[in-house]
Amino acid sequence: MTGSSAPFVVALAAGLLGAVAGIALPRRVRPLGAGVCTAVSGAAGVVAGVAAFAGHPWSAWLPDVVPLAGTRLAVDGLGGLFIAVTGAVGVCAGVYGIAYCRPHGDHALDGRAVQAVTPLFLASMLLVPAAASVTTFLLAWELMAVASLLLVLAEHRHRTSVREAGLWYAVMTQLGMVVLLGGLVGFAAAAHGESFARLREAGRGLSPGVRAAVFLAVFVGCASKAGIVPLHVWLPRAHPEAPAHVSALMSAAMVNLGVYGIVRVGFDLLGGGPAWWWLLVLAAGAGSALYGILQAAVATDLKRLLAYSTCENMGLVLIGVGAAGLLDRAGARPLAALAMTAALLHLVNHSGFKTLLFLAAGSVVRAAGTGDLDALGGLRTRMPVTTVLFGLGALGASALPLGNGFVSEWLLLQGLVKALGSGGTAVAVTMPLAVAVVALTAGLAVATFVKAFGVGFLARARSEKAERATESPRAMLLGMSLAAACCVVLALGPVSVLPGIARAVRVVVPGPDAVTGPVTLRLHGVASTLSPLWIAVALILVLAVLRVTVMRRARRRARLWDCGMGPTSARMEYTATSFAEPLQRVFDNVLAPETDVDVTPLAESAYLVESVTYRARLGDRIEHRIYRPVIAAAAWFGRVARGLGNGSVHRYLGYGFCAFTGVLIVLAVTR
Amino acid sequence: MTETVYVQLLDLTCGALVLAAVLVLWRRDLRAIVRLFAAQGVALAALVAVLGVHAHDAGLVALAAGAGVLRGLLLPLLLRRAMRAGGAGRETEPLVNVAASLVVAALLALLSYAVTRPVVALEPSPATHAAPVAVTVVLIGFFVLVTRRRALSQVVGFLLVDNGITALAFLTTSGVPLAVELGVSLDVLLAVLVLRVLTTRMRAAFGGTDLDDLRELRD
Repeated sequence: MTGSSAPFVVALAAGLLGAVAGIALPRRVRPLGAGVCTAVSGAAGVVAGVAAFAGHPWSAWLPDVVPLAGTRLAVDGLGGLFIAVTGAVGVCAGVYGIAYCRPHGDHALDGRAVQAVTPLFLASMLLVPAAASVTTFLLAWELMAVASLLLVLAEHRHRTSVREAGLWYAVMTQLGMVVLLGGLVGFAAAAHGESFARLREAGRGLSPGVRAAVFLAVFVGCASKAGIVPLHVWLPRAHPEAPAHVSALMSAAMVNLGVYGIVRVGFDLLGGGPAWWWLLVLAAGAGSALYGILQAAVATDLKRLLAYSTCENMGLVLIGVGAAGLLDRAGARPLAALAMTAALLHLVNHSGFKTLLFLAAGSVVRAAGTGDLDALGGLRTRMPVTTVLFGLGALGASALPLGNGFVSEWLLLQGLVKALGSGGTAVAVTMPLAVAVVALTAGLAVATFVKAFGVGFLARARSEKAERATESPRAMLLGMSLAAACCVVLALGPVSVLPGIARAVRVVVPGPDAVTGPVTLRLHGVASTLSPLWIAVALILVLAVLRVTVMRRARRRARLWDCGMGPTSARMEYTATSFAEPLQRVFDNVLAPETDVDVTPLAESAYLVESVTYRARLGDRIEHRIYRPVIAAAAWFGRVARGLGNGSVHRYLGYGFCAFTGVLIVLAVTR
Repeated sequence: MTETVYVQLLDLTCGALVLAAVLVLWRRDLRAIVRLFAAQGVALAALVAVLGVHAHDAGLVALAAGAGVLRGLLLPLLLRRAMRAGGAGRETEPLVNVAASLVVAALLALLSYAVTRPVVALEPSPATHAAPVAVTVVLIGFFVLVTRRRALSQVVGFLLVDNGITALAFLTTSGVPLAVELGVSLDVLLAVLVLRVLTTRMRAAFGGTDLDDLRELRD
């Protein structure tokens, strides 16, 4: 092991120390100890990642850590990027957790299990991108899955829905693990070795069938972790039920590792593949982006909305990854590098704003006791800091200028638009469709986050709970502010992270950097430039000028126009449901909402209405169409299988006897 | 002893072993079943003794004496006691009738001959040629376990399986270490004691020892 691995070792050690602190410390100081350790672990992870993509890759071989297989670690530019992002999310979540986990009302997260597992979860996520052999990778992956499952179940005593969410997550993550395990173990068997170096050597020479099987298995396994439609069903269930800092870790760091797996295996170890692989990735990404943002647009629970937004953003990242693979295959290296840069930059941006949004949502839920947008509102005056910070995150997520999502989506669009001319028919057909998907997604994202911010935070409170909300403690605000600072840096100075991303891209698509420039981004391969900083300056100048010139007219106070209905009340406001109603109407065929309107007339006259009830239920249609039948079949099989065990000892002995003689007969016949 | 005598004695004891097992399937009287089991224990002891004398191994002969005492005297005694406490002395309606059971026993013998061919081919000797007989006893014991209703016949079925395994061990190896044989014998003894207690308890609880009465205990 070389000297540059020191920060990484510190990160892992801090994670373990945090686990010990979570168990050993008394309840009063437990969140503090575990939170500080988590934050330190994250900070060391950032240093380790930055060191790796600043040009100090390292590798280590520890034969004694895991029996038989040993542990093999190596951090290159690609792994370093993911380690740094995970570490940064860990810092914010750790600091936030110090105050968030303290008892508040009936919600307390200072139990031993949650406090000890949180730092371990972070450490395992740091370990995944550093793994350099199949065994190490799978071990870290499974550790991460189990740790996150325990954290999702943190509040299972308070709400029964937590258990259901945990069950969904457990099933999806374990099925994903099985597929991934099959793919990677098959790959290692075909390559006669399990270290990534060996796989890299053998990857290109394997037969096309084996390569396709490995890629498909890894893609499915990783896509279920990344929350790609139709394997996303656990996301909108697990995120609303998990504690906020855990949601942030899962949604901003863990899902990234699904993308990491696809990029690492697809590009690096298998060395690229035929066009249909990447078309599949692109199609899955496009479907995920569209479906995710549509569901987010009509969701009324704040954290559920954010979870669907994660589906959307991971879909956008996969569009970039798929386009990069397709272009690399077609020989357009600079464009492939551009698409990959856009994808990874979007991944980093998503981590930034999603951490911020989830932490802010947790702050709201903690203060108001609900995440239902229809019951929130009026938080601007009661929780001013949280409101501003959530607004920053929403700006980033809606891909408008001054938000960080804008830069990467612009890069993605540039890459897709300019790719039209290069490559064959497949590229020519796919790229315009992908552009349309990205554009539609961006539009819907604006509506979604305007809804989340406007309905959730502005206007008047729609429930007593929201009226009683108070601002969160300082450590939580600090955690959110750190995430917000990252978002601002990413939005105004993306050039500060571009060298690191370029180094990560070079691991998978060799060649010169796709995007360069000190303030203005210059794209190589296509003639485009973008300067987020100048856009910001210009926008602020225009706003200032407008304010000075237009708003200087004398102000006059007047009563708000209320249509003569008396004083305005919260009942007259837009709710999240009503705001999204036009969208729901437009996409009626896709969303298939179930709405009931019951009109009860007065007894005297059918024309006079006594009351109107409106019920709407918006389920996840993919879940309804695909998962329900599968679950029903499994339940039927379970019921039928129960008939096998009727309690008779003779029958059980008979099973054993028949199986035994059956095996003997097979032996006698075949040998 | 000469080679011919050795082979004939081996065949005789093995024949007695498998005959006792088949007769257990035939008889429905529990007392007769226990007597047959005792006879099989003696045959097993004789088999081990023949092997021991042929190999000039005093330890093996001593083991044979031990096996004879355990399987020919001690276990039948325990079974008889359990039966005496129980009263009802006949196997009620077995799940597979006697004629069919005998046909099945023949098929099981065929199967064991077919399955042990590789074992015999590994080192052809009079002892290994007798290995299929031991496997037959195991299979018949298992079959008794599956088809007989009374707890006592079940115990006998279990002991038949054990007898078969012991015979197989002695026939295919050149002597089982004393420690292993002692351990196995103790295990069997313990299992029989436990089953006896279970039988007594069952009778106290249900007034009978038909194992299908246990059906309500699941879940």
